[in-house]
Parts: sequence; C-alpha cells; structure tokens
Amino acid sequence: MDLDLFLQFLTNGVVMGVFYALSALGLTLIFGLMRVVNFAHGEFYMLGGVTGWFVTSYLGLDFFSGLALVAVAMAAFGWLVDRFLIERVRGQGEEPGILLTIGLSIFLVNATLLVVGPAPMKVAGAVAEGPLFFGPIAVTKLRLIAVGVGIALIAGAHLIIRKTRLGAAMRATFQDPMAASLAGIRTGNVYAATFALGCTLAALSGMLLGSIYSAQASVGGLISLKSFVVVILGGMGSFAGAIAGGLLLGIAEAFWGGYVATGMVDVVGFVLVILILLFRPQGLFSIRAERA
Amino acid sequence: MTLLSESPAVMAADAPTVLTVDGLHVSYGSTAALHGVSLDVRAGETVALIGANGAGKSTTLRAISGILKARSGSITWDGKPIANLPPDRIVAAGIAHCPEERHVWPHMTVEENIMLGAYLCRSRSEVQRRAGMAFHRFPRLRERAKQLAGTLSGGEQQMLAIARALMSEPRLLMLDEPSLGLSPKMADEVFDVVRSINAHGVTVLLVEQNIHNALSVASRAYVVKTGRIAASRPAAELRDDPDLLRAYLGG
Repeated sequence: MDLDLFLQFLTNGVVMGVFYALSALGLTLIFGLMRVVNFAHGEFYMLGGVTGWFVTSYLGLDFFSGLALVAVAMAAFGWLVDRFLIERVRGQGEEPGILLTIGLSIFLVNATLLVVGPAPMKVAGAVAEGPLFFGPIAVTKLRLIAVGVGIALIAGAHLIIRKTRLGAAMRATFQDPMAASLAGIRTGNVYAATFALGCTLAALSGMLLGSIYSAQASVGGLISLKSFVVVILGGMGSFAGAIAGGLLLGIAEAFWGGYVATGMVDVVGFVLVILILLFRPQGLFSIRAERA
Repeated sequence: MTLLSESPAVMAADAPTVLTVDGLHVSYGSTAALHGVSLDVRAGETVALIGANGAGKSTTLRAISGILKARSGSITWDGKPIANLPPDRIVAAGIAHCPEERHVWPHMTVEENIMLGAYLCRSRSEVQRRAGMAFHRFPRLRERAKQLAGTLSGGEQQMLAIARALMSEPRLLMLDEPSLGLSPKMADEVFDVVRSINAHGVTVLLVEQNIHNALSVASRAYVVKTGRIAASRPAAELRDDPDLLRAYLGG
C-alpha cells in the first residue's frame, strides 16, 4: 500500500541519514569548529572504505576487528595530516586551507587509484545478507547492524566531546585558544586530536557504507559536498545540527528517489541548502544555541 | 627614628628575586615590539608595569607566559631559563597569566571556566578543593556558578578570569589591565582582590592603564616606553611626585 511504501522510503532515508550524519559530524568538527574548509573530507570517507576493504576482504579480518583497526589507522592519519599540513596554514584565514585540502584530496584520490585501482571494492559485512521484516518494512540485517554501529559511534563522539578532559580542552580551545593556552592546554594537540576525530568519523562512515554498497576511489567529491550540505543545514559546529541535517538529507533523498526521480537524487541536498541559506542562513541549529 | 616599616614593599626588598627578564626582544612579524626589556620581580612583591598604550607592557607579559616568542634575551624563573617554553610548561612552573579583556570561555558555565583553570591538575579532589577556595573568595561567582560566562557583567568576568588564573595555584600572578572597562567602584573591588591575593603570598606582576590604581597596589613600578624600560621606582615615590610621573609618561 501507499503507506507501506512511505514507511519503507522513510526507513531507507533514516538508514542513509545515519551515515550522512556520521560523516558530517566529522566535518562539523573540522569545518565548524576548527574552521578548516576541508575539501579532502570525502577522501577520508573513501579511505575508510578502501582500507576497510583491505583489512576485511584482503587481510581477512572480521568486520569489527577491521573497524577498530581502520579507526586507529585513520585517527593516526588525521593526526599526522593536521600536525604536518594543516598546522602550517592555521590562523591564516580560509583560503590557504582550501587550497591545501583540495591538493590533498587530489593526491589521495590518485594515490588510491594507483595502489588499488578504480574498481568498486566490497567491505566484508558483519553478517550475511538477508532481510528482516518489521511489519511492512524490510531492512537487511547488514544495514541494521551498520546503522547500530553508526549510532554507537555518534554517541561515542558525543561522550568524548561532552564528558572527557579532551572534550573540555576542545571546547576551551575553540571558544578561546589563547585562554586555553594560558590554562595549560596544549592547543596544538587539541587541534590535531579534533582533526583526527573528524577524519575517523568520516572514515568509519565510509567503511560502514562500503559494507552495504561498495568503496571506490572516486566517491570522495560527492561525499565532501554532501557533508558540507549537512553541516550547513544543521548549523556550523553544531553536534545536534549535524545529526538532524544528516537525517533530513537522507530522508529527503529517499523520498525524492522514491516518488520523483531516481536519477537526480544528488540534486536534493543542494536544493535544501539553497532553501536554508535563503530562509535560515545560520542553519537549523544555530551555533549560538548549541556549540559542540 | 624607625627606618623599617612593616609595609610589604620594604619586607619584599630582602626577598629573593624570583623572576628576571633580561634584554628581552619580541617582534610581531617584522615589527619589533620590545627592544630589550629588563626587569626583576622579588618574591611577595606587587610590581606594576605602567606606560602608554602600545608601549609593550602586554607584550612583555605575553612573552613571559610563552604565548609570544622571545627573539632574544632571557627570562629566568626560580633560577631556570624559561624563555620560549610552551605556555603549559610556564603554567606548570607556577606562573599564571590573566590576559587583557578577560578571555573567559563565553559558552561555558562559570563553574566550567573555573574547573578548567586547573587543567594541569590531574587530581579531581584537588581541583574540587581549589574550586571551593575560588568560590569562597568570590561569593558572587558561586551564585552564578551555572550561568554561562558570556552572560556575566564585565566586573564579574574579570573576577572569573582572576579566579580561573588562581586555579593553577600560581606563585606569580600576571594581571593584564584588570580594571579595563570597569566602573570605578568595580575597579576598586578588583584591586582589593589583588591586594588580598598578594597578602596570601602570591607575587603579582600587574599591567595597568589606570596609573593611580596601579601605584596604590604596587610596591614598585617600571615605566615602559616604546618597548624599553624608561625607569624603575618605588611606587610611593611616583605616587607622591606627579611631576616625575608626568616626565616619565610624557603626559
């Protein structure tokens, strides 16, 4: 029936929305708080998928060990990118960071093409394929688990920011870096840790989605743009906004694809951004109200 | 005739020197801001840096606390060189810097601001003890503990900034323009606090535009002029001799 179809689209939208939210959460840390306009964000996502393929399908690790390994590797990667690249342009306005991350994204895409080639790569899933039925709605077990992991990661990131010493140092550093330094916070480490966390969230989103669909070297550009869409929808630097924006984009795309035209799904996000910029330019959740 | 009075200024005269700045040069980019500042601070003193806007008073404090790099010259604390150490090492060594314009974290509560002042202290109970002392010293902050720091009045923010700086339990507290933008009544309160902090044994290095207030709280003063020390005098001498003061400050 029509209602059944509606619920199915809604479910599909929420599933995609969780991954958009996860990736955008990473970007809201890097772009919203650190003010680095990170055009390599989609490549971090892509690298998560590709390294996820490498550790599961190639090395044969099980999904969750692979996920942990990818998390550690991408956190280290993000830390190094910040310490050796981003740090050089910190405090110099946005343009140097844009050029730097565009260059980094081109490098990462081509390095990946060189090493593993352009073909789609499947991340070995946590469970076998097979649908579960909730009334009229069908969801594969794989998706359900991936969504569960995604939600757990979002909750984990929230706990890090809200409850830990590192989280307090992050909030202090982004509200007033000089005051943070004077309190004894090593702001350089805080920036690097934040960048590493943002990078890891994008990468894990990429690995989770790579287990449902596939990972591919060329996917990054579109993911970067969609992550920016979500961050702008939700409000720069807003944790709740990234989640709401991600879900909104996922659901809007699912409805558009279901009811209007599957071919132009990627347009939806940009239409939403134009509408938001026209009617509520500070985003759904303004940074004044809630800053991560 | 008694030569010795019980004033802290005289008592501190025999105290050991804790901070020595010698020939300090600091630049912002290619623009030199300090051209060889030299000063020293003895344990238990309150020393004021006075001088016109842009003379280099704040720059001197920022170089001591490690926010700015010293191009040359030395800074010695407790006999150890500390120039160009990162700010967290300076805080750990016992020097706290309460910056100009307060710089509280506006989107955090008063309590969070205070607790983070003891960031380097790993013991939760010790942080609680210090926060208790801070709230005891500043009862108004206790009333506002759950309020966002950005919503406080200027005077309350200054008290918060001082309370936060004290959370590292410094032996030297550097205060930059603590009365800036405050009403005269509020400024008096702030200087009462500075006196009481000093009376509790914390050495104070004070930068202040309000020369009358600065000289009323300090035992000695350095006059800073275009990146150099133009004079060093007991505060009372400058306070009682407006002509001398005017000569130094070029006012």
